[in-house]
Amino acid sequence: MNLASLLSKDRINLSLDAGKKDEVIKDLVYAIKKGAEAELIVSTLLKREELGSTGIGKGIAIPHCRSLAVEKLEIAVGRTKKPVNFNAIDKKPVSLLFLIIAPPQDPGNQYLITLGKVVQIAKEITKKNLIQKPETPEDFITMINDIEKGLAKRK
Amino acid sequence: MPDIVEMHLKLLFDLDNLISDMEDESYKKIGFQIEEAASDALINKRNQLLRQLPRELGEIYEILKKRYRQAIAPVESEFCLGCFQKLPTQLAAQSQNILTCPNCGRILYWRPKN
Ligand SMILES: [Zn+2]
Repeated sequence: MNLASLLSKDRINLSLDAGKKDEVIKDLVYAIKKGAEAELIVSTLLKREELGSTGIGKGIAIPHCRSLAVEKLEIAVGRTKKPVNFNAIDKKPVSLLFLIIAPPQDPGNQYLITLGKVVQIAKEITKKNLIQKPETPEDFITMINDIEKGLAKRK
Repeated sequence: MPDIVEMHLKLLFDLDNLISDMEDESYKKIGFQIEEAASDALINKRNQLLRQLPRELGEIYEILKKRYRQAIAPVESEFCLGCFQKLPTQLAAQSQNILTCPNCGRILYWRPKN
């Protein structure tokens, strides 16, 4: 599974308006779907957040859920202009978000594999202090690609 | 099906998938935190949504969920994606009501046209 290949430039927003947690989630979802379908995804994501924040620490969050509103795995990335309170594990505000939405029927369990991979990549991003580094969506995809190559070599 | 019913049904379905992921060992291994009290609240919320559905629909949903785990299936090019059987053409045409697949019984869902 190659994360960089699942990313698309038009779903990477590196100057997302900061706001409340719910608003930031909503902005990200609307990069993928609109209207009633987007609202369903937002409701499910917020229920997921109530179970425990997907803010994994050091400024990164990975909001995720399965939803009937999508037909295939969808990913959006956002970096907020200012850090946002996300009730993260380490209580630190979040500025980089990976949104992952999977369909209920998910052959090959692509959803969980992708989630695991994103967690791994997120840890590399924080370790190397790369959150603010990419200046364009293209830079961001290149960065993810490089990190993945590095991780593959280590194995 | 009326919009509000459809909305409740879809959210119920999403929440049930959330609950089953939360209990899935391979999901737990990824390492996201889950608070015990909040997961009880989620189950309450799902039960509340179920009660808001018309009684018959709620009962069908529960039976199908037990049988298939996923009670709802999308329709694509007149095929039920639950059992991959072709649906009768006249069924596909009247997608305003609550319809079930004549083959597997799953509640059918038409994706909005973009
Ligand atoms: Zn069927």
